[in-house]
Amino acid sequence: MLQILIQGLLLSGLYALIAVGFTLIFSIGRVLNLAYGAYLMIGGYSYFYFSQILGLPKIAGVAIAALIGVATGLLIYRLVVKTLKGDSVAIEIATLILAVVLQAGVVLLFGDASKILLPIIPGVVRVSGAAVTYNVLVATVASWVILISLYLFVRRTHMGRAMQAVSMDMKGAAISGIDPDRVNTVTWGISGALGAVAGVFFASYTQLYPGMWVSPLIIAVAVVIVGGIGSIIGTLIVAHIIGYMEVIVTSAVAPELRGVVTMVLIIGVLVLRPKGLFGREEL
Amino acid sequence: MNIRWYHLALWAAFIIGMIYLPQLVSKGTLRTIIFANYLAIFAISWDVLSGRTGYVSFGHPFLIGLGAYTTAILTKRFGVPVEISIPAAVLVTMVGGSLLFLPALRVRGSYFALVTLAFMELMYQLVQVIRPDLTGGTRGMSGIQTLTRGAVNGYYLSFGLMASLGFAMWLLMKTRLGTALSAIGMNEEAVRGSGLNTTKLKLAAFMLSAFVAGLGGAFYVHYLGSIAPRALFDINFVFTIIVAAILGGASTIIGPIFGAFFLTFLLEYLRPYLPGAERYFIYGGIALLLYMYEPKGLHHVLQMALSAIKGKSRS
Repeated sequence: MLQILIQGLLLSGLYALIAVGFTLIFSIGRVLNLAYGAYLMIGGYSYFYFSQILGLPKIAGVAIAALIGVATGLLIYRLVVKTLKGDSVAIEIATLILAVVLQAGVVLLFGDASKILLPIIPGVVRVSGAAVTYNVLVATVASWVILISLYLFVRRTHMGRAMQAVSMDMKGAAISGIDPDRVNTVTWGISGALGAVAGVFFASYTQLYPGMWVSPLIIAVAVVIVGGIGSIIGTLIVAHIIGYMEVIVTSAVAPELRGVVTMVLIIGVLVLRPKGLFGREEL
Repeated sequence: MNIRWYHLALWAAFIIGMIYLPQLVSKGTLRTIIFANYLAIFAISWDVLSGRTGYVSFGHPFLIGLGAYTTAILTKRFGVPVEISIPAAVLVTMVGGSLLFLPALRVRGSYFALVTLAFMELMYQLVQVIRPDLTGGTRGMSGIQTLTRGAVNGYYLSFGLMASLGFAMWLLMKTRLGTALSAIGMNEEAVRGSGLNTTKLKLAAFMLSAFVAGLGGAFYVHYLGSIAPRALFDINFVFTIIVAAILGGASTIIGPIFGAFFLTFLLEYLRPYLPGAERYFIYGGIALLLYMYEPKGLHHVLQMALSAIKGKSRS
């Protein structure tokens, strides 16, 4: 029982970190960025390259991965999203194609074989019978730190308030003197950084391989759909619902079914409550 | 019905040309064309639903897989003859199509695409878990009865299927049904406002799409003789279908066919230089640029070029 509690907490923290960058774009830019999963892949691989092949310090590896994530996010916003001018279905198709292209690019650079990331901090701690690696613990703590600072950023800073305003009403925000394009650029950059950092942790949680972007994308999609248009708090709650459901199903029913509940939840919520469990909320 | 004589003449020329093709090309090329034919069927199926109505499906392998698995299980595990198993597969796929239709009643646009993606992933995971003795689990099935022997026969079967489905869909889309479906893609409210029952129309689009996908999937698995969940319920497969349809030109019939051939041959000719997944990099890049700057596809580019030439010769 305690084991389920701890495992769920750890997994959910990671899921929240994965989903929050995706939610951010969806609530401010109103587009579903299916290349979001590719940020995680790019983050994971950049970390792998800089810290494991070049041997830079791990913290520098994470920082470089985040910077590359920012660059990717900005490039996608400038080159793809702005060109398509807010046609949400077209953006969805284009970013899906882009994700496959980026995956192929990673195969081109690093090869098809899966790589194992060394744990960021090695070691295992036993918490009442449950073995918890420091690595996962660090990932969870980092997710919480990042989520809280993001929350404070959105609530307290001028830029964050501008983001809230754009997410509520873009025209209104523009009339009040906010440049929506600038807000969107910042959002896409932040989202890229969040995705890339989440990718480092996700890859060290599972492994690093070119197809790794699909499952975190589906988690992010599930969180957005189940939670409704995203608030950060809502993302956190839904990430915990999904994380705990997966852990409970894995340990109580069958490990193979862990993904099934997530899918059933997505389909069920979309058919029964298309606006999501929490509906429209403030960021 | 907006059919001109040259439409039919073009179809006839296309079909006659394809019938003579096996005399001209090698067996290896023929196998490539067989794959292109099946891809064209899947792209037509995708296009009837998504290209027209704007309900973008990211989970088309869900429908194809339903058809393929049904007939594979029936023939291999229960010894049912293909004459019964293939129609059964099509029926099951159409039931699956109506499952996919349920969310389309409530959500549209980007949400709908995501729910189809969820359907595909669900199918991928369920196939491996539920009754692996029937589905073959993660490893899939092999040794499924094949309908034809040799490349030439396989070619004729796949081409016959593709051409008849393509022609039938083309005729159907020339009727008022096709017009109404395209109108839904443009503005669903307006179609409802003009007194048409959009629910029925959408259901028709889903059923047609499922019918084509089920038939294509069933014949495809009887051509391959094997089936594996990872190859089928794969986002790369979705990508190939969508790119074939939009590269050629969505909401036409000849577009997806053309796109499928273009794509398959591009992949085939890139193989010597870039073995493996790197080819996706090239053709994905081409597809992305084309989609962003010429969303109507190669079909439209060719038409523009054609009318430009005509215009010049006149003046």
